[in-house]
Amino acid sequence: MTESAKEDSGETKDAKDARDADRFRELAELALDDPRRATLRGDLVADHIDLARNLARKFDRRGDQLEDLVQVATIGLIKAVDRFEADRGNFYAFAIPTIMGELRRHFRDTGWAVRVPRQLKELHVTVAAGRNELSQKLGRAPKPSELAEHLGLTKEQVYEALVASAAKQGTSLDARLAEPSGDRFGYEDDRLAEVDNRRALGPLLAELPEREQKIIVLRFFRGLSQADIARRVGVSQMQVSRLLAKTLERLRAALGEDTLAG
Amino acid sequence: MSEVETSPVARTHGVRDVEVRVWADAEQVPLLRSFAADIAMRMDFDLDAIEDLRMAVDEACSLLVRAAAADTALYAWFEPQEYGIRVRVQVDAERAQPPSADPMGWQILTALAASVTEDVEAVEGGHRIRVELLAVPGPAGVGPR
Repeated sequence: MTESAKEDSGETKDAKDARDADRFRELAELALDDPRRATLRGDLVADHIDLARNLARKFDRRGDQLEDLVQVATIGLIKAVDRFEADRGNFYAFAIPTIMGELRRHFRDTGWAVRVPRQLKELHVTVAAGRNELSQKLGRAPKPSELAEHLGLTKEQVYEALVASAAKQGTSLDARLAEPSGDRFGYEDDRLAEVDNRRALGPLLAELPEREQKIIVLRFFRGLSQADIARRVGVSQMQVSRLLAKTLERLRAALGEDTLAG
Repeated sequence: MSEVETSPVARTHGVRDVEVRVWADAEQVPLLRSFAADIAMRMDFDLDAIEDLRMAVDEACSLLVRAAAADTALYAWFEPQEYGIRVRVQVDAERAQPPSADPMGWQILTALAASVTEDVEAVEGGHRIRVELLAVPGPAGVGPR
Protein backbone atom coordinates (compact mmCIF):
# COMPACT_ATOMS: atom_id res chain seq x y z
CA MET A 1 0.00 0.00 0.00
CA THR A 2 2.79 2.44 0.88
CA GLU A 3 4.57 1.33 -2.27
CA SER A 4 1.72 2.27 -4.54
CA ALA A 5 1.15 5.52 -2.67
CA LYS A 6 4.74 6.47 -3.37
CA GLU A 7 4.36 5.68 -7.04
CA ASP A 8 1.23 7.80 -7.19
CA SER A 9 2.89 10.87 -5.77
CA GLY A 10 5.15 11.04 -8.80
CA GLU A 11 2.25 10.92 -11.22
CA THR A 12 0.41 13.95 -12.51
CA LYS A 13 -3.24 14.19 -11.60
CA ASP A 14 -4.35 13.47 -15.16
CA ALA A 15 -2.13 10.43 -15.45
CA LYS A 16 -3.48 9.13 -12.15
CA ASP A 17 -7.06 9.73 -13.24
CA ALA A 18 -6.43 7.92 -16.52
CA ARG A 19 -4.85 4.99 -14.71
CA ASP A 20 -7.78 4.89 -12.28
CA ALA A 21 -10.22 4.86 -15.19
CA ASP A 22 -8.31 1.96 -16.77
CA ARG A 23 -8.33 0.03 -13.56
CA PHE A 24 -12.04 0.60 -13.00
CA ARG A 25 -12.74 -0.63 -16.52
CA GLU A 26 -10.62 -3.69 -15.82
CA LEU A 27 -12.51 -4.27 -12.56
CA ALA A 28 -15.85 -4.08 -14.35
CA GLU A 29 -14.72 -6.71 -16.86
CA LEU A 30 -13.45 -9.24 -14.35
CA ALA A 31 -15.83 -12.02 -13.36
CA LEU A 32 -17.23 -11.85 -9.83
CA ASP A 33 -15.31 -14.94 -8.72
CA ASP A 34 -12.04 -13.99 -10.40
CA PRO A 35 -9.29 -13.84 -7.73
CA ARG A 36 -7.73 -10.86 -9.51
CA ARG A 37 -10.93 -8.95 -8.84
CA ALA A 38 -10.46 -8.99 -5.08
CA THR A 39 -6.85 -7.84 -5.42
CA LEU A 40 -7.68 -5.02 -7.81
CA ARG A 41 -10.62 -3.91 -5.68
CA GLY A 42 -8.39 -3.89 -2.61
CA ASP A 43 -5.77 -1.84 -4.43
CA LEU A 44 -8.32 0.71 -5.58
CA VAL A 45 -9.65 1.11 -2.05
CA ALA A 46 -6.16 1.36 -0.57
CA ASP A 47 -5.07 3.95 -3.13
CA HIS A 48 -7.94 6.24 -2.19
CA ILE A 49 -7.90 5.72 1.54
CA ASP A 50 -6.50 9.23 2.06
CA LEU A 51 -9.66 10.63 0.57
CA ALA A 52 -11.77 8.76 3.10
CA ARG A 53 -9.47 9.88 5.91
CA ASN A 54 -9.67 13.52 4.83
CA LEU A 55 -13.42 13.52 4.63
CA ALA A 56 -13.72 11.77 7.99
CA ARG A 57 -11.61 14.51 9.54
CA LYS A 58 -14.16 17.11 8.50
CA PHE A 59 -16.71 15.48 10.75
CA ASP A 60 -14.30 14.93 13.58
CA ARG A 61 -15.40 17.89 15.68
CA ARG A 62 -18.82 16.45 16.28
CA GLY A 63 -17.55 14.43 19.19
CA ASP A 64 -16.95 11.05 17.62
CA GLN A 65 -13.65 9.27 17.64
CA LEU A 66 -11.72 9.96 14.44
CA GLU A 67 -10.86 6.30 13.95
CA ASP A 68 -14.55 5.37 14.05
CA LEU A 69 -15.28 7.99 11.44
CA VAL A 70 -12.44 6.79 9.22
CA GLN A 71 -14.03 3.34 9.32
CA VAL A 72 -17.38 4.73 8.28
CA ALA A 73 -15.74 6.76 5.51
CA THR A 74 -13.88 3.66 4.35
CA ILE A 75 -17.13 1.77 4.04
CA GLY A 76 -18.35 4.65 1.88
CA LEU A 77 -15.18 4.39 -0.20
CA ILE A 78 -15.65 0.64 -0.71
CA LYS A 79 -19.23 1.28 -1.82
CA ALA A 80 -17.96 3.95 -4.21
CA VAL A 81 -15.37 1.57 -5.69
CA ASP A 82 -18.02 -1.10 -6.16
CA ARG A 83 -20.59 1.17 -7.73
CA PHE A 84 -18.44 3.44 -9.86
CA GLU A 85 -18.77 3.11 -13.61
CA ALA A 86 -15.62 4.28 -15.37
CA ASP A 87 -17.60 5.74 -18.28
CA ARG A 88 -19.36 8.13 -15.98
CA GLY A 89 -16.26 10.30 -15.58
CA ASN A 90 -13.92 11.11 -12.69
CA PHE A 91 -13.88 8.72 -9.72
CA TYR A 92 -13.49 11.52 -7.18
CA ALA A 93 -16.65 13.26 -8.37
CA PHE A 94 -18.48 10.05 -7.59
CA ALA A 95 -16.63 8.94 -4.47
CA ILE A 96 -16.80 12.20 -2.50
CA PRO A 97 -20.61 12.44 -2.34
CA THR A 98 -20.81 8.70 -1.67
CA ILE A 99 -18.44 8.91 1.29
CA MET A 100 -20.05 12.09 2.63
CA GLY A 101 -23.41 10.36 2.35
CA GLU A 102 -22.13 7.45 4.39
CA LEU A 103 -20.77 9.78 7.08
CA ARG A 104 -24.00 11.79 7.22
CA ARG A 105 -26.03 8.61 7.49
CA HIS A 106 -23.77 7.52 10.33
CA PHE A 107 -24.55 10.72 12.22
CA ARG A 108 -28.22 10.58 11.42
CA ASP A 109 -29.02 6.94 12.06
CA THR A 110 -26.41 5.56 14.39
CA GLY A 111 -24.56 6.67 17.45
CA TRP A 112 -27.82 7.19 19.27
CA ALA A 113 -28.42 4.90 22.20
CA VAL A 114 -32.05 5.93 22.34
CA ARG A 115 -34.31 6.26 19.34
CA VAL A 116 -34.75 9.93 18.72
CA PRO A 117 -36.89 11.40 15.92
CA ARG A 118 -34.88 12.17 12.83
CA GLN A 119 -35.79 15.83 12.92
CA LEU A 120 -34.32 16.10 16.39
CA LYS A 121 -31.15 14.31 15.33
CA GLU A 122 -30.64 16.80 12.55
CA LEU A 123 -31.30 19.61 15.00
CA HIS A 124 -28.68 18.11 17.27
CA VAL A 125 -26.09 18.10 14.49
CA THR A 126 -26.92 21.74 13.69
CA VAL A 127 -26.61 22.78 17.33
CA ALA A 128 -23.37 20.83 17.82
CA ALA A 129 -21.85 22.52 14.77
CA GLY A 130 -23.09 25.91 15.98
CA ARG A 131 -21.56 25.24 19.38
CA ASN A 132 -18.15 24.68 17.83
CA GLU A 133 -18.40 27.72 15.58
CA LEU A 134 -19.46 30.01 18.40
CA SER A 135 -16.89 28.61 20.83
CA GLN A 136 -14.17 29.58 18.38
CA LYS A 137 -15.67 32.98 17.79
CA LEU A 138 -16.39 33.88 21.41
CA GLY A 139 -13.41 32.15 23.01
CA ARG A 140 -15.76 30.48 25.51
CA ALA A 141 -18.72 28.14 25.47
CA PRO A 142 -21.85 29.77 24.02
CA LYS A 143 -25.08 30.23 25.94
CA PRO A 144 -28.28 28.64 24.64
CA SER A 145 -29.63 32.10 23.76
CA GLU A 146 -26.55 32.82 21.69
CA LEU A 147 -26.88 29.50 19.88
CA ALA A 148 -30.52 30.23 19.11
CA GLU A 149 -29.66 33.62 17.69
CA HIS A 150 -26.69 32.31 15.70
CA LEU A 151 -28.61 29.41 14.18
CA GLY A 152 -31.91 31.21 13.68
CA LEU A 153 -33.70 28.79 16.00
CA THR A 154 -36.03 29.41 18.90
CA LYS A 155 -34.62 28.90 22.38
CA GLU A 156 -37.01 25.99 22.87
CA GLN A 157 -35.55 24.27 19.80
CA VAL A 158 -32.05 24.69 21.20
CA TYR A 159 -33.20 23.31 24.56
CA GLU A 160 -34.72 20.29 22.82
CA ALA A 161 -31.53 19.62 20.91
CA LEU A 162 -29.39 19.94 24.04
CA VAL A 163 -31.60 17.59 25.99
CA ALA A 164 -31.63 15.13 23.09
CA SER A 165 -27.81 15.13 23.05
CA ALA A 166 -27.89 13.54 26.45
CA ALA A 167 -29.56 10.49 24.87
CA LYS A 168 -26.70 10.02 22.45
CA GLN A 169 -24.54 8.06 24.83
CA GLY A 170 -26.33 5.59 27.00
CA THR A 171 -25.04 4.51 30.35
CA SER A 172 -25.40 0.96 31.46
CA LEU A 173 -27.94 0.47 34.21
CA ASP A 174 -25.47 -1.87 35.87
CA ALA A 175 -22.86 0.87 35.93
CA ARG A 176 -25.15 3.01 38.03
CA LEU A 177 -26.14 0.20 40.32
CA ALA A 178 -22.51 -0.67 40.86
CA GLU A 179 -21.99 2.68 42.58
CA PRO A 180 -21.85 2.22 46.28
CA SER A 181 -25.29 3.17 47.54
CA GLY A 182 -24.79 3.32 51.24
CA ASP A 183 -24.63 -0.44 51.71
CA ARG A 184 -21.12 -0.63 53.02
CA PHE A 185 -20.91 -2.28 56.40
CA GLY A 186 -18.74 -1.26 59.28
CA TYR A 187 -16.40 1.67 59.40
CA GLU A 188 -12.79 1.86 60.34
CA ASP A 189 -10.83 4.98 60.93
CA ASP A 190 -12.33 7.86 58.93
CA ARG A 191 -9.16 8.78 57.11
CA LEU A 192 -7.95 5.28 56.36
CA ALA A 193 -9.53 5.12 52.90
CA GLU A 194 -8.06 8.49 52.11
CA VAL A 195 -4.56 7.17 52.60
CA ASP A 196 -5.24 4.34 50.17
CA ASN A 197 -6.90 6.61 47.66
CA ARG A 198 -4.19 9.20 47.75
CA ARG A 199 -1.56 6.51 47.35
CA ALA A 200 -3.50 4.79 44.60
CA LEU A 201 -4.44 7.92 42.69
CA GLY A 202 -0.87 8.85 41.75
CA PRO A 203 -0.02 5.70 39.79
CA LEU A 204 -3.54 5.66 38.29
CA LEU A 205 -3.10 9.18 36.99
CA ALA A 206 0.28 8.21 35.60
CA GLU A 207 -1.32 5.31 33.75
CA LEU A 208 -3.76 7.55 31.91
CA PRO A 209 -3.05 8.49 28.32
CA GLU A 210 -1.15 11.77 28.13
CA ARG A 211 -4.12 13.74 26.83
CA GLU A 212 -6.46 12.57 29.60
CA GLN A 213 -3.79 13.29 32.20
CA LYS A 214 -3.40 16.79 30.91
CA ILE A 215 -7.15 17.40 30.88
CA ILE A 216 -7.53 16.20 34.47
CA VAL A 217 -4.65 18.35 35.67
CA LEU A 218 -5.90 21.45 33.84
CA ARG A 219 -9.44 20.97 35.07
CA PHE A 220 -8.97 20.00 38.71
CA PHE A 221 -5.58 21.29 39.65
CA ARG A 222 -5.50 24.51 37.68
CA GLY A 223 -9.24 25.05 37.50
CA LEU A 224 -9.39 25.94 33.80
CA SER A 225 -12.75 25.94 32.01
CA GLN A 226 -13.57 23.27 29.47
CA ALA A 227 -13.29 25.88 26.73
CA ASP A 228 -9.75 26.77 27.76
CA ILE A 229 -8.77 23.12 28.00
CA ALA A 230 -10.24 22.40 24.57
CA ARG A 231 -8.09 25.15 23.11
CA ARG A 232 -4.94 24.02 24.88
CA VAL A 233 -5.30 20.34 24.15
CA GLY A 234 -6.60 20.93 20.66
CA VAL A 235 -9.84 18.96 20.79
CA SER A 236 -13.47 20.05 20.81
CA GLN A 237 -15.22 21.04 24.02
CA MET A 238 -17.61 18.17 23.64
CA GLN A 239 -14.64 15.84 23.63
CA VAL A 240 -13.17 17.46 26.73
CA SER A 241 -16.47 17.01 28.52
CA ARG A 242 -16.73 13.41 27.37
CA LEU A 243 -13.11 12.60 28.25
CA LEU A 244 -13.48 14.16 31.69
CA ALA A 245 -16.55 12.13 32.50
CA LYS A 246 -14.97 8.96 31.17
CA THR A 247 -11.67 9.49 32.96
CA LEU A 248 -13.30 10.25 36.30
CA GLU A 249 -15.39 7.13 35.95
CA ARG A 250 -12.29 5.16 35.19
CA LEU A 251 -10.35 6.55 38.14
CA ARG A 252 -13.28 5.98 40.40
CA ALA A 253 -13.70 2.41 39.22
CA ALA A 254 -10.00 1.69 39.69
CA LEU A 255 -9.98 3.24 43.14
CA GLY A 256 -13.11 1.33 44.09
CA GLU A 257 -11.52 -1.96 43.15
CA ASP A 258 -8.38 -1.11 45.05
CA THR A 259 -10.35 -0.26 48.13
CA LEU A 260 -12.21 -3.54 47.95
CA ALA A 261 -9.02 -5.51 47.39
CA GLY A 262 -7.37 -3.84 50.36
CA MET B 1 -43.35 28.05 28.94
CA SER B 2 -46.23 29.38 30.93
CA GLU B 3 -45.68 32.89 32.16
CA VAL B 4 -46.72 33.39 35.72
CA GLU B 5 -46.39 36.50 37.82
CA THR B 6 -43.28 36.03 39.92
CA SER B 7 -40.91 38.09 41.98
CA PRO B 8 -38.73 40.57 40.04
CA VAL B 9 -35.53 38.60 40.73
CA ALA B 10 -36.88 35.38 39.31
CA ARG B 11 -38.29 37.16 36.30
CA THR B 12 -34.90 37.98 34.78
CA HIS B 13 -34.72 34.41 33.50
CA GLY B 14 -38.23 33.19 34.23
CA VAL B 15 -37.02 30.31 36.39
CA ARG B 16 -38.40 29.82 39.88
CA ASP B 17 -37.30 27.81 42.88
CA VAL B 18 -37.71 24.06 42.59
CA GLU B 19 -37.86 21.54 45.40
CA VAL B 20 -37.43 17.82 44.67
CA ARG B 21 -37.57 14.80 46.94
CA VAL B 22 -36.40 11.37 45.81
CA TRP B 23 -35.28 8.15 47.48
CA ALA B 24 -31.70 8.46 48.68
CA ASP B 25 -30.57 5.93 46.12
CA ALA B 26 -27.85 6.07 43.45
CA GLU B 27 -30.46 5.32 40.81
CA GLN B 28 -32.19 8.63 41.49
CA VAL B 29 -29.08 10.77 41.11
CA PRO B 30 -29.32 11.13 37.30
CA LEU B 31 -32.78 12.60 37.75
CA LEU B 32 -31.50 15.39 39.99
CA ARG B 33 -28.53 15.95 37.72
CA SER B 34 -30.88 16.45 34.79
CA PHE B 35 -33.05 18.82 36.82
CA ALA B 36 -30.03 20.97 37.56
CA ALA B 37 -28.83 20.99 33.96
CA ASP B 38 -32.27 21.86 32.63
CA ILE B 39 -32.67 24.76 35.03
CA ALA B 40 -29.19 26.08 34.23
CA MET B 41 -29.99 25.82 30.52
CA ARG B 42 -33.13 27.88 30.99
CA MET B 43 -31.15 30.40 33.00
CA ASP B 44 -28.90 30.71 29.94
CA PHE B 45 -25.73 29.38 31.56
CA ASP B 46 -23.08 28.77 28.95
CA LEU B 47 -22.78 25.14 27.85
CA ASP B 48 -19.59 24.47 29.83
CA ALA B 49 -21.15 25.91 32.96
CA ILE B 50 -24.19 23.67 32.43
CA GLU B 51 -21.92 20.62 32.17
CA ASP B 52 -19.99 21.67 35.26
CA LEU B 53 -23.18 22.07 37.25
CA ARG B 54 -24.47 18.71 36.02
CA MET B 55 -21.30 17.01 37.25
CA ALA B 56 -21.24 18.97 40.50
CA VAL B 57 -24.80 18.01 41.38
CA ASP B 58 -24.04 14.42 40.47
CA GLU B 59 -21.05 14.46 42.79
CA ALA B 60 -22.86 16.18 45.67
CA CYS B 61 -25.81 13.80 45.46
CA SER B 62 -23.55 10.74 45.15
CA LEU B 63 -21.65 11.76 48.27
CA LEU B 64 -24.87 12.16 50.24
CA VAL B 65 -26.54 9.03 48.91
CA ARG B 66 -23.57 7.01 50.12
CA ALA B 67 -23.99 8.43 53.60
CA ALA B 68 -27.78 8.25 53.78
CA ALA B 69 -29.59 5.88 56.11
CA ALA B 70 -31.58 3.10 54.44
CA ASP B 71 -35.05 3.98 53.10
CA THR B 72 -34.69 7.69 53.58
CA ALA B 73 -35.13 10.61 51.24
CA LEU B 74 -32.73 12.87 49.42
CA TYR B 75 -33.98 16.44 49.26
CA ALA B 76 -32.81 18.92 46.68
CA TRP B 77 -33.59 22.61 46.33
CA PHE B 78 -32.66 24.48 43.20
CA GLU B 79 -32.77 28.20 43.82
CA PRO B 80 -32.05 30.54 40.92
CA GLN B 81 -30.39 33.74 42.05
CA GLU B 82 -29.53 36.91 40.24
CA TYR B 83 -25.90 35.84 39.87
CA GLY B 84 -26.23 32.07 39.49
CA ILE B 85 -27.98 29.11 41.01
CA ARG B 86 -27.83 27.79 44.54
CA VAL B 87 -28.31 24.05 44.95
CA ARG B 88 -28.91 22.56 48.37
CA VAL B 89 -29.06 18.80 48.93
CA GLN B 90 -29.76 17.02 52.17
CA VAL B 91 -30.03 13.51 53.61
CA ASP B 92 -30.40 11.96 57.01
CA ALA B 93 -27.60 9.60 58.01
CA GLU B 94 -26.77 7.40 60.93
CA ARG B 95 -23.23 8.62 61.19
CA ALA B 96 -21.91 12.16 61.40
CA GLN B 97 -19.27 11.76 58.71
CA PRO B 98 -19.08 14.93 56.58
CA PRO B 99 -19.06 14.62 52.76
CA SER B 100 -15.54 16.08 52.63
CA ALA B 101 -14.31 12.83 54.19
CA ASP B 102 -14.33 11.49 50.63
CA PRO B 103 -11.32 13.44 49.35
CA MET B 104 -11.71 12.66 45.68
CA GLY B 105 -15.42 13.44 45.60
CA TRP B 106 -14.93 16.62 47.56
CA GLN B 107 -12.04 17.72 45.34
CA ILE B 108 -14.21 17.25 42.25
CA LEU B 109 -17.11 19.08 43.81
CA THR B 110 -15.10 22.09 44.89
CA ALA B 111 -13.42 22.31 41.50
CA LEU B 112 -16.73 22.31 39.65
CA ALA B 113 -18.77 24.73 41.74
CA ALA B 114 -18.07 28.38 42.51
CA SER B 115 -18.43 27.64 46.20
CA VAL B 116 -19.36 24.62 48.29
CA THR B 117 -20.23 24.31 51.95
CA GLU B 118 -21.17 21.32 54.05
CA ASP B 119 -23.01 21.00 57.29
CA VAL B 120 -23.62 18.14 59.71
CA GLU B 121 -26.30 18.61 62.32
CA ALA B 122 -27.41 16.18 65.01
CA VAL B 123 -31.12 15.43 64.74
CA GLU B 124 -33.37 12.95 66.45
CA GLY B 125 -32.18 9.44 65.61
CA GLY B 126 -29.14 10.45 63.63
CA HIS B 127 -27.52 13.27 61.70
CA ARG B 128 -28.67 15.60 58.98
CA ILE B 129 -26.02 16.15 56.33
CA ARG B 130 -26.26 19.03 53.89
CA VAL B 131 -24.22 20.23 50.97
CA GLU B 132 -24.83 23.62 49.47
CA LEU B 133 -23.21 24.69 46.26
CA LEU B 134 -23.30 27.80 44.17
CA ALA B 135 -22.80 27.67 40.42
CA VAL B 136 -22.34 30.66 38.15
CA PRO B 137 -23.23 30.97 34.47
CA GLY B 138 -19.70 31.04 33.05
CA PRO B 139 -17.40 33.83 31.85
CA ALA B 140 -20.13 35.63 29.89
CA GLY B 141 -22.37 36.14 32.92
CA VAL B 142 -26.15 36.23 32.88
CA GLY B 143 -27.48 38.95 30.65
CA PRO B 144 -30.75 40.60 31.61
CA ARG B 145 -33.09 39.21 28.98
